Amino acid sequence: TQICSIFNDAQRTAAGHRKLIVSLRKVQESCCYEPTKPGKSQEGFDEDDFNVEIARCVIRLMGVKKSEGVGDRMVRFLGFFLRYASEKDAVLVSGSEIGESESFPETPSTRLTSHILSILLQLLTSKEKTVRYRSTQLVAHIINSLDSIDDEYYHLLKMGLLKRIRDKEPMIRVQAVLGLGRLAGNEDNGDQENDDSEDDDDAGGLLEKLLDVLQNDPSADVRRSLLLNLPLMPGTLPYLLERARDLDPATRRALYSRLLPALGDFRHLSLSMREKLLRWGLRDRDENVRKATARLFRERWIEDCAGAPQTGDVGAFAEAASPNIDGLLELLERIDIVNSGVEEGIASEAMQDFWDGRPDYQEAVSFNDPFWDHLSPESAFMARSFNDYCRQQANKKYEMSVEEKMPEVTKLAFFLQRYTNILIDILRRNSTRCDGDEEEDTVEWEFIVEQLLHIAKTLDYTDEVGRRKMFALLRETLAIAELPDEITKLVVGALRNVCGAEPAGEREFCGVVLEAVAEVHDAIVVDEPILDNEDESFHSARSEISDTTPTKARGDHRTSSSSEEEDEARAIKEIMINMKCLHIAQCMLQNVESSLQQNVHLVTMLNNLVVPAVRSHEAPIREKGLLCLGLCCLLDKTLAEENLTLFLHCFSKGHDALQVTAVHILADILTSHPSILNVQNSENIDMTLNKSVLKIFSKGMKAEHTPDVQSATTVALCKLMLTLVIQDDDLFKQAVICYFDPATKDNAGVRQTLSYFLPVYCHSRRENMERMARVAGGVVHAIVDMSEELAEGEEMVGISHVGNMLLDWTDARKLVVQDEAMVSWDEAGRRVVKAVNGDIHLDLAESLLERAVNNGCSKEDKKALCAMLGKLYITANSSAEKLRITTELVTEAIDGNIATDAASRNALNKLHLALSKAMGEAGKSTKDTDE
Amino acid sequence: SAPAPSRRKEKEPFEIDFASPLDPALAEMIYTPATSNAAISLPKAQWKSKTRNLLPDDKHFNSRQLLRLFLKPEARLGSRKVGFG
Repeated sequence: TQICSIFNDAQRTAAGHRKLIVSLRKVQESCCYEPTKPGKSQEGFDEDDFNVEIARCVIRLMGVKKSEGVGDRMVRFLGFFLRYASEKDAVLVSGSEIGESESFPETPSTRLTSHILSILLQLLTSKEKTVRYRSTQLVAHIINSLDSIDDEYYHLLKMGLLKRIRDKEPMIRVQAVLGLGRLAGNEDNGDQENDDSEDDDDAGGLLEKLLDVLQNDPSADVRRSLLLNLPLMPGTLPYLLERARDLDPATRRALYSRLLPALGDFRHLSLSMREKLLRWGLRDRDENVRKATARLFRERWIEDCAGAPQTGDVGAFAEAASPNIDGLLELLERIDIVNSGVEEGIASEAMQDFWDGRPDYQEAVSFNDPFWDHLSPESAFMARSFNDYCRQQANKKYEMSVEEKMPEVTKLAFFLQRYTNILIDILRRNSTRCDGDEEEDTVEWEFIVEQLLHIAKTLDYTDEVGRRKMFALLRETLAIAELPDEITKLVVGALRNVCGAEPAGEREFCGVVLEAVAEVHDAIVVDEPILDNEDESFHSARSEISDTTPTKARGDHRTSSSSEEEDEARAIKEIMINMKCLHIAQCMLQNVESSLQQNVHLVTMLNNLVVPAVRSHEAPIREKGLLCLGLCCLLDKTLAEENLTLFLHCFSKGHDALQVTAVHILADILTSHPSILNVQNSENIDMTLNKSVLKIFSKGMKAEHTPDVQSATTVALCKLMLTLVIQDDDLFKQAVICYFDPATKDNAGVRQTLSYFLPVYCHSRRENMERMARVAGGVVHAIVDMSEELAEGEEMVGISHVGNMLLDWTDARKLVVQDEAMVSWDEAGRRVVKAVNGDIHLDLAESLLERAVNNGCSKEDKKALCAMLGKLYITANSSAEKLRITTELVTEAIDGNIATDAASRNALNKLHLALSKAMGEAGKSTKDTDE
Repeated sequence: SAPAPSRRKEKEPFEIDFASPLDPALAEMIYTPATSNAAISLPKAQWKSKTRNLLPDDKHFNSRQLLRLFLKPEARLGSRKVGFG
């Protein structure tokens, strides 16, 4: 019939759909509206027949596999037709029956739709997944194509689709979710008013169920489809935004590249949500997510602030408006720059991407004198980020541009001074304020000064006039005891650059910083008419450069007239001043590289400031002192050796935070002086020290109850192993086991570090890979033990998975740098690449087999070992001796019947076969070379 | 070029035959309902995900971290000449 041929044409290409729909509509009209018109070919063919015929074609569609594009095309065709037909009907109806529009009028097309839906409903629970797929797909598509659905079917469809969101096939769940997403949107508008009474929990129920699926469905496709098809409402938004951390990168990207741009003005989001979205997106592990986030920020969010003409067309990025600097400043304000612009905050990264993608803003921005006269946190940050961006580019063009736009050193020093003065004035006013008075907020001023210092750090100090001006300013600023710690740190950093990189510059730097420390220290003295010996000691020692035994940082006070309260206040002030001095020293030490002994300033500081602090009875001072001592140790090996025991002690006896600091110090010392551990010449004394160091790391790796300590130790150990400072089989084995240990499941720091470290370590050096081969057998054993001792409800990675990873980490073909010997040239000068040497897997085989034949080896253990043995890389290019030994061991294992199941036996036989073949080839090639 | 014919075979267009009567085998396939709801449903154990399918916090351990000291985050390793040791 005619209908058949229309469907036939429609399945070939989507291009002719519009025409075909018009002709199909003609057929429908001829059946429904003019059934008796003569001259039509379809004599006596009425509406029912038409509907049956369409349904017949729909049923043909149900068996079409998902992979066939034809199926999708027909689904679209049907949806298109039903919409077209309904619209036409509606025009006809409204023409004739105005006034009766209370409920949706029934028309031929609604009857047809109902007919099709009634058939599809039965098929939704078909046994065959293809049928369920196509019927669900068509139902969802019809729902999305039509404005309204008959009430009777509405509920049936909802129930039918709700069952399908638990289908075992993800592709079917995707379709169910697509249909229900639309229904959920409808319910929000309509049902809340109408259905209060009977349907209330049902209506809320649908959305709730979908949100549950959004969080819990195991298939990322389902979650992603739902993400993009749920209605955007205050109630759903938190659930949708949560997907920014979805396990699946494509889902995360969909959020950033589709949902968020379509969401409308980002300023409706809460401040903390904006920051989280930026941070998660820009630091995502997937590059595409990062890119999508950067685009969102510099193309959508900026336009919300810069006021691009509001086009109704969301989704598509509106044509960028001309750069609007005030808009940019508002954007920075809207991401709470004072908090997000600090060190490690996300704003710096966001702005680097911004400048990178917006050359128009780079061009438009200007920093003239009035700009600097009226700095706000936002404008200061803008200048700083622009400066950072330009100076990080390799291209000379940017250097020119930044030199042109930024003020010269003298001028910047002038502005820096002005804002620093404002800040200090407020700080001083605050400190002299009576208790009841409200303090003035300094955060914004601090932030502005910080930005200026960031810029100051990058400037070119070849101009001597400017250099001197800046030097004097920084030197003077540093001696202000009230200076906030972050600013102190930046001043020291800038000062380091002003002093120049050469050794003389470093000496000048240390000298000037320590002068400032002395001045800060004098603040105690100035306040207090009665001089204490201990306060004097630092001061005088500085000028004498003597090595006098330092007195305790805090002695007993017997100030005659002062009351206890005054005593206490004085003690607190003393602690604060001491902390400040230590902080300055710490910042300085972080910027020093030369040897301690050759710098007289440093030796003095060590003896008169750091050592007394380490001996202090005040815990904060003591701990800050330890940190400084650690930093000094990095500059002097002897000092490091002398104090190693002290840091070990801190780890053993300290609280969590101190343990972390101790591990950091130990790791840095060993990195800076690797020879401390590599004892070849020295004798037993050092060996015990060596052992205690390794013991500390082993202990730290086991610190399950203090996750911070465990993860700090893991990072430190991984670093030391990668840099070959620590080369110890037992520690390495412990690290591998730790990776699989269910106890570390919730310690993302440990897991993520190891998942980065293990492949990098093994694949980067043959020696490392050999170490892995040596410990693998023991690892398998430990893992099997662990999985047998699992507590109720605990999960852990399967043993076969562990085996595969171990194989991968010992696969010599994966070594990044292959041996020289592999590549050679034959007589004709052609490059010959030999097969990768297979010794490592033979070592592995040996260690696995030795364990497998052992009587103590459990059945599970053996099975895991055999499975690994079947997957080894065996090649003729291996040591003949190793091939022979391994063959013997396999033969022994087979003869000893260690394998109890077929799979294990096959694995062993396979290995045996591969070995014989390799030996055969190896024999041949040695003969070849002999001839 | 040898692989050409096999590729063409792959691309043979699929067509639905709308005209002819429904193949009984296909009809059976389409009309047989599932024996039970459970047979076509996701096992209940998979309805809930412990993690809500979310990533753990990223710790960003990478090569950059390897190249710096814990105590001196801004000083790069290697820029420092290893003194006496």
